[in-house]
Parts: sequence; C-alpha cells; structure tokens
Amino acid sequence: MIAKIYKNPYIRFILFGVLAAMVPTLADWGVIRFGTITTLTQVIYFGIAALGLNLLLGYSGSISLGTAGFMGLGAYIAAYVLSDLNMSFLLGILIAILVPTAIGILVGLVSLRISGLYLAIATLCVSEILLESFRQATDITGGMSGKRTSFPSIFGYTFDRASTFIFLVAVLVLVMILTYNLVNSHLGRAFNAMRGSEVAAQAMGVNLLKYRLIAFALATAYAGLAGALCAYYIRAVSPTQWSLNLSLLCLAAVVIGGFRSIYGTVLGAFVVWAVPDLFLKRLPIIGDNPAIPFIFNGVLIIVVIMFYPHGLVHITHDARKLLNKLKKRGKGDADA
Amino acid sequence: MHNTVTLPEGCILSVENLSMHFGGLKAVDDLSFAVKEREIFGLIGPNGAGKTTVFNCITQFYRPKEGRILFNAGRKGESLRPMNLVGLPVHRIIRLGMVRTFQNVEVIKELSLIDNVLIGAHIKFKATVLEQALKLPRARREEKAISEKAVEALDFLGIADRKDLLAGGQPYGVLKKVELARTLMSEPRLIIMDEPAAGLNDSETDALAQSIRKIRDTFGCAVLLVEHDMRLVMDVCDRICAISFGKFLALGTAREIQTSKLVQEAYLGEEEE
Ligand SMILES: Nc1ncnc2c1ncn2[C@@H]1O[C@H](COP(=O)(O)OP(=O)(O)OP(=O)(O)O)[C@@H](O)[C@H]1O
Ligand SMILES: [Mg+2]
Repeated sequence: MIAKIYKNPYIRFILFGVLAAMVPTLADWGVIRFGTITTLTQVIYFGIAALGLNLLLGYSGSISLGTAGFMGLGAYIAAYVLSDLNMSFLLGILIAILVPTAIGILVGLVSLRISGLYLAIATLCVSEILLESFRQATDITGGMSGKRTSFPSIFGYTFDRASTFIFLVAVLVLVMILTYNLVNSHLGRAFNAMRGSEVAAQAMGVNLLKYRLIAFALATAYAGLAGALCAYYIRAVSPTQWSLNLSLLCLAAVVIGGFRSIYGTVLGAFVVWAVPDLFLKRLPIIGDNPAIPFIFNGVLIIVVIMFYPHGLVHITHDARKLLNKLKKRGKGDADA
Repeated sequence: MHNTVTLPEGCILSVENLSMHFGGLKAVDDLSFAVKEREIFGLIGPNGAGKTTVFNCITQFYRPKEGRILFNAGRKGESLRPMNLVGLPVHRIIRLGMVRTFQNVEVIKELSLIDNVLIGAHIKFKATVLEQALKLPRARREEKAISEKAVEALDFLGIADRKDLLAGGQPYGVLKKVELARTLMSEPRLIIMDEPAAGLNDSETDALAQSIRKIRDTFGCAVLLVEHDMRLVMDVCDRICAISFGKFLALGTAREIQTSKLVQEAYLGEEEE
C-alpha cells in the first residue's frame, strides 16, 4: 500500500515539494544558514527555465541560447506590473509568461526553418537584442541601474523571504507536474519522434514546423515564468543578470542533470547554482577564487558528457544496481 | 476542387509517368503502375533500381518534377476523395489513409515499444496542449482508448509481451514488427513497406508473409511492398511490377514475372543464378 503510494509520480512530486518547503524552517532552527535559502531559490527559478530548455533540447531536439533574454523579459514585465501598474503579482506572472511566449512564437516562425548551430546563433542574437533593449528602454527598465520592485502581496498579506520561497517551491512542483503530464502525452511522443527520427515523425503525421514551434513556445513560457519568480524574490532586476552566461548555465544544468529527466534537471540546477555557493566556496585555499564555479561547471560538463551521457540523475539508478550486485555477491560468498 | 482526378477503376493508387532525377542520374524514368484496392502489390528490381525513390515520391519525401501520384484518399470510414498527392506536405499523407515503413527501421530508441506504436496514432489525438498538461478528461480518455488499441496492434504482431521495453535494446526482427504495428494505428487503406523482410531469417520471413496477408484480410487495406526476398514476393503478392534503372520492365502475377525474359535479363546482369 505504502509502496504503491510512493510509486505514484504525483505523490512523489508533492513529497519532494513538502521536503523542499521545510528549508526555511531548517534555517529558523539553525540547521542551515539563511543565505542558503537565497541560493536554493536560484535553483528553483533557474531550474524552471532549465526544465523548459530540457523540453526543447532534450525532448524535441532543438537548441536555444536565448533562455536568458526571455527570462529577463519576464522579470521586467513582472516587476513592471507589480510596481508601476500596481496590479496583482499573479497577473504579473501571467503576463510575464504570455508576452515572452508570443515573442518566442514570432521568433520561432522565422527561425525554426533552420536548425542546429544556426538556430543556436539566431536565438543568441534575439537574446542579445532583448538585453540591449533592457539597457536602452530606461523609462521602463531603469537602464543600467536596474529596476526595483517589492515582495508580492495578496489579500493584504505581504510575502516575506520565507513565504516567497515556499510559494516558489509550490510553483516548481506545479511546473514539474505539468511537464510530467506533457512529456507523457502525445505531445511528448511527438517531440521524441521528431528528435529520434525526423522522417518517421513526418511519415506519422507530425508537422515538424508546428511541433518545433510548440517546443520553442513552451521553453519561452518557462523562461518568462522563471524571470518573474526571480524578480519577485530578488525584488530587483538589472540587465547584467541576463547575459549569454545564464543561457549557457541553463544548458549546463540540462546536460549535467540529464536530458529528458525532470528530477535530473532540478538536480542539474542544484549542481550548477547551489554546489559552488554551498560547498566550493567553503573549501580551503581554492574557495576564494572566483573562477572556481566556472572551472567546476566546465569540468563537470566534460566529465558528464564523456562518462555519463544520460546525466547525473542516473547515478542513483546505477548505484542501486551496484548495491544489488554487491549484495548478491555477498550472499554468494556466504553461501559458499 | 482544385484537383479532381480519376483513378483507373478499382484502384487505390495510380503512379503515372513518374520521373525523378538526382543531378544527372535518372533514378525513376517515366514509370507507371496502379495498385488495386485490397491488393498486395510488389515492386521489385535490382539494387539501385529506384524502388525506394518511388516510395519517397509517393509519400512526398521527394517532390517529383514529372508525373502524377493519384490516390483515392480517405481513411477507413471516410468518404473517398481521389486526388493528386504531388506537392502535398509529407505530414499530410498519413491523414489521407496512406502510411509507410522504412528500409532502415526508423523507430525511437529511447521510447518503449508501445510508445513507438502510439506515435503511429499521432493524427488520432485531439486534446490540446493545455488539456494534456492538465490531464483533462478528454486527454485522459483518448490516451487510454488509443493505448488499448496500441496493445492490440502489438498483440496482432505477437509482441505485446514486450510492450514496455525500450526499443533501443530490441532485436531487428522485433523492431520491424514495431514499424508494422505502428502503421496499423492510423487506420490506413494503403500500407507501403520498404523491404519488410530485410534482415529477417527464414522462419521470421514466413511469419512476416502470414502477417502481411493477415493485415490485408483483417483491415481490408492494400499493401504495396518493395522486397528483395523473392520467395516472400512470389508468395504474398497478387501482382508484381519489376523495374530496372528506374524504368518499367514488366507487370503481372508471380508466374508471369518469373518467366519474363526482360526481368530475367535484368537480374542476370546483376547476379549470377
Ligand atoms: N537522395 C538522393 N540523392 C542522390 N541520389 C540518390 C538519392 N536517393 C537515391 N539516389 C540514387 O538513386 C538510385 C536509386 O536509389 P534507390 O534507393 O531508390 O534504389 P533501390 O531500388 O531502393 O535500391 P535498394 O534495393 O538497394 O534499396 C541509386 O543510384 C541511388 O544512388
Ligand atoms: Mg531501397
């Protein structure tokens, strides 16, 4: 009975959320530092963007280097709706999803006839154009000095750091569940078909252009949402956040965590955004060197691609296999 | 209707004066033949004769410059609309009731067998992205109903017990069956098979011959197949068209083709019997 409940994927997602939501409490008890909450929040919102990228890259097989630009767009929109228009942050999140998605669809319509390296360059250009607009549109974005906003509030309750974190965890779990549903439906199969065999996909009636566009639109929607969450937690948006570096880190999270794995993507985001902050910086001698996170991620990507092409998420699987083997061998020895 | 056409009486597919060039190479040269409803029709020819190219022209993977591909379009239970397929997008073809397999099996390694078969039912799913994300009733209902049909299709080919295994680790013979099962999902009226017996051993080939007949008899569809295994071709095909260097050689029953001088010469030129 309990095993059956535990095997239910939805219950697992919720369990994961409940565990993650305890982080602020742990900080209150002094088990972890308060700074850790901020680090883990990064894992959440960037992890959401990485999940979108995994849909695009891992499932549908198209690449994008434009994640950061669309995330930035979402962040500015969210801040604008809350602080300038004084409207509900929920509306802010909705618009921060819809506008980047609409722009993403327009971009996709022109650029998705190309693929591979050219698509990577095209999406990078779009991202850079967005970034430049953030710098120039000073009236709305505050230009280089950035834009301030506040913690969201609802029904007279204003979120604080801890409750925003819990809200973000809830959104992450929701996104994980929606993603799980999508990849296990015919949309997910069409993406897989497209990546696995374009000819088979076409022969089975998959309109490549349409489904590439859907994948691209989903990835921008996730990025827009991620940007909005980021804006509401940090309460400040500035152009320096949305550089190519961020897009590459999202890519790293997907590669390191595991293509086509939901938990893997979150794990990848944890490795990319939390491990350097939480562990590497504490190391003696090398910890102070600002280059360490970059070197760590770079080396990790190479190691994963070479030795662990399915991503770190498979470590648990392989470890279990190894354990079973050892157990069996142990038993064999005992029998002998 | 911009392309009202008429097919020869009782035919589902009519290839008319088809030519296809690759640079200077004439891969298909003024070829014509017609496949009747519910017929098992073989297309044979030596290596490089242009058989796969003909299939790619029929299914619009290639756009032939000359010739017409007339098809009596309509899936099972739909009214029939004769039309010229030339110029249609590839992904439209399956909706018209024609589906194909590939010479080098094209399955998705990372998916289970049943998911591979379900890809063949792509056109049958109606739920929107939002309905799928939220698993609303319609999405859940059609996923369940169509999955059941996929199991039936796998069962039809005798591999239902492997339905949840990944395609990646499966032997070639099983993957060929998966491709066949996949074609059944769209309720086609014409199935095009490119070398279904390639890579199969003798007993597997015999089983395949039975499956092909069973598919025709059960689903009432026509089958157009390319095959090098003469035993299979002569065994299952009602009629056979032989081509060489893209050109028409002969058309007739198995016996007529076997005794055709032109066909014998074409094959003798390639391999000594
Ligand atoms: N996309 C292409 N570009 C250039 N040449 C091609 C292309 N496709 C096929 N050809 C050429 O056209 C000719 C016919 O090829 P095709 O694959 O249709 O032969 P086939 O009868 O299917 O042969 P096989 O029995 O070996 O499968 C060959 O000479 C081949 O090299
Ligand atoms: Mg061929």
